[in-house]
Amino acid sequence: MSHLLELERVTVPGRGRPRLDQVTLRLTAGERVALIGASGAGKSTLIAVANGLLNPAEGQVLWQGRPPARQGRRRRLQQSRIGTLWQDLRLVEELSVQQTLNAGRLASWGWPRALLNLLLPLETGACRELMERLDLDPALLCQPVSALSGGQRQRVALGRLLRQDPQLLLADEPLASLDPRLAADLLSLLLRQGQAPRALLLSLHRPDLLHGFDRVVGLRQGRVRFDLSVPEGGSAALAPHLEQLYAGATRP
Amino acid sequence: MNGASLQLPRPAVALWPLLPALVLLPLTLLLPALVHGGGWDLLGRFALAALRPSFEPVVLRSLLQGLAITVGTALLGWAASLLLGLTLGIASARVVWQTLAGASWPALLIRRLLAIPRAIHELLWGLLLLQVIGLQPAVAVLAIALPFGALVARVVSDQIDSLPLRNLEALRAAGASAPGALLTCLGPPLLPLLLSYSGYRFECALRSATLLGVFGLGGLGTELRLTLQSLAFAELWSGLWLLLLTMLLLEAAVSGLRHRWAMPLRFSAAAAGVGRQGRELLLAALALIPLLVAVAWGLGLHPGQLLHWQGLPPLGQPQWQAVAALPWFQLILNTLLLTALAAAVAVGCAPLLLLLAAPWRPARLVLQAFWALGRLWPPPLTALLLLFVLQPGVLTGALAIGFHNLGILGRLLLEAAAAADAGPAQALELAGSGPRLALLYGRFSGLARPYLAYGAYRADVILRESVVVGLVGATGLGSQLLEALSGFAWDQLAALVLAYVLLTLLGEALSDRLRQRLSEPR
Repeated sequence: MSHLLELERVTVPGRGRPRLDQVTLRLTAGERVALIGASGAGKSTLIAVANGLLNPAEGQVLWQGRPPARQGRRRRLQQSRIGTLWQDLRLVEELSVQQTLNAGRLASWGWPRALLNLLLPLETGACRELMERLDLDPALLCQPVSALSGGQRQRVALGRLLRQDPQLLLADEPLASLDPRLAADLLSLLLRQGQAPRALLLSLHRPDLLHGFDRVVGLRQGRVRFDLSVPEGGSAALAPHLEQLYAGATRP
Repeated sequence: MNGASLQLPRPAVALWPLLPALVLLPLTLLLPALVHGGGWDLLGRFALAALRPSFEPVVLRSLLQGLAITVGTALLGWAASLLLGLTLGIASARVVWQTLAGASWPALLIRRLLAIPRAIHELLWGLLLLQVIGLQPAVAVLAIALPFGALVARVVSDQIDSLPLRNLEALRAAGASAPGALLTCLGPPLLPLLLSYSGYRFECALRSATLLGVFGLGGLGTELRLTLQSLAFAELWSGLWLLLLTMLLLEAAVSGLRHRWAMPLRFSAAAAGVGRQGRELLLAALALIPLLVAVAWGLGLHPGQLLHWQGLPPLGQPQWQAVAALPWFQLILNTLLLTALAAAVAVGCAPLLLLLAAPWRPARLVLQAFWALGRLWPPPLTALLLLFVLQPGVLTGALAIGFHNLGILGRLLLEAAAAADAGPAQALELAGSGPRLALLYGRFSGLARPYLAYGAYRADVILRESVVVGLVGATGLGSQLLEALSGFAWDQLAALVLAYVLLTLLGEALSDRLRQRLSEPR
């Protein structure tokens, strides 16, 4: 069986104790995995290792069964199959919404199209369709990102990710700063996106939102404490595990 | 439907810094016509000599002596300009006059008057002073101190007047004396800005001192020009490497101190705190005084000599008709053309080259070395070198000045790119965009406005600087001015300096407007 992502005994050192300590995790196509834990448990670090931002000091990362290429075209191709929804979104404030959405295609576009995207509205049809899917007004396409509200920005960031159309979706606390209705909408969109042949790894610190995930991985102090499939009945059966995970930590 | 969608699409902000580079297209078409092809072997010998500088003791000793004079001149000129600038800056701040005397018009008057020394390039100051007080070390020092002082004064007064006044009003309302309240409220926020700016001014002073040397005012610049004119390329490169080393050391020291004392970057708007380095600062300032005295003594600088004016050459009857008959339109047009070309080359090429070099670390290092050479190499020397293969004219002058300013702008761009938020560019690169597009989309978008605002200021400097390539001929007011100086045709000289001043003031007003528009949020 082929894995989209494999982390094998990955360790990332930190001040005092390691940020990740011998973490092993595998994701197969179609799996939607929730990563939970208190703040500082290592969720963001794990996401950063998974998308190649951080190189682990020990252990191995495999993308679709292959180690990351060092640089060049092969690495770019590998990166284009992994998409991240960043906690701080990392949008370019000065670009228009349409340019931002199209920035998701930069990996497959050559220079000329990338330049043209800064001059003219490209692929307007696809962008409009995407805006409607995200429940955004298509008239926003020509607005600069800096003019958007918080919720709109979140959805534009997701739109850029969907334009990239990666096989592995990573999301770092995407629900943290959203009101409950927006959070539920965004989550259902991401879960739908994570169906086979794709996969989703999403970190969150709210155990009440586990419904809809296939697996849940608990992190505490840089170690994987449990890796369980989510039972049909929801998170009630997980309660003892969660209790242990958050014991001693201030629960958000 | 939103109205904006009906407008013609305009290029995204990320592309703006690259637009001036479009000037390269007509330039590449025009250049072949200018090549006279006579000196390619000379240029080749010059390039090869870079690897084989002369290490002869005689040469090295005279170069080191020249370097000492240049650095000493720069240091004295810089210190004097700071002192002058700080005093005049405080004297031309509206807040200060308002608080002390209850009226702000004297501030405006002083500010207007200061525009005149500022509009005259340090080279012109040097050559004019040379006529009046003769060749002595003080000429170069004064030539740097006067225009730089007026520049510093403008920056200081602008900064003072842009500080919020609420604290000052509160202190005054509580009964504090006017000078005490001013010092308490304006001093601390001003200090870090001033420190950062003065570090930058020292780099400028070193470049100016070298340039003045090229025109015979002593120091390393003189040696460089003499070795170039006698085609002694090995000796020339010994001097250049020495200068490069000095400049890089100085720049590293300035940026090290900037970090240490938590200074803001040159074109960031937010001022950082002074930090807890007050005592260190005070010690450094105290150590500077004996150093300055020693340097002045070493250079043989005697204040008394300044009073001995030499007799001017006999001033003939002014011939205003001959002055009016100068081809003014052509002169001004050429000057403006040269400025525009040089500015476009400098502003546009820096981001373009950075973009091209982005994926490879070695290429980035080569680029940095290239820029360092540009900063260090005085434009008239580049112009002389270009004359080996190009015909004299506006284009040759523009290339020389453009190369110099490219070095300055490139370094600034690199500094700003390193200091900017890495997040967006990182996100793009991790989505597979590649380093070039990540740089273009992720970093240039945010940098474009401050970079171009600085570029507008730079264009203003270039206009003033256009006089220094006057010696390659046919470059407009600059050439005419140097010609008038050599024959001391004082009527022409006066008219040309006046024309320069007016043009510079006009350019300054324009570039101020442009900068304001660029810094406005949309």
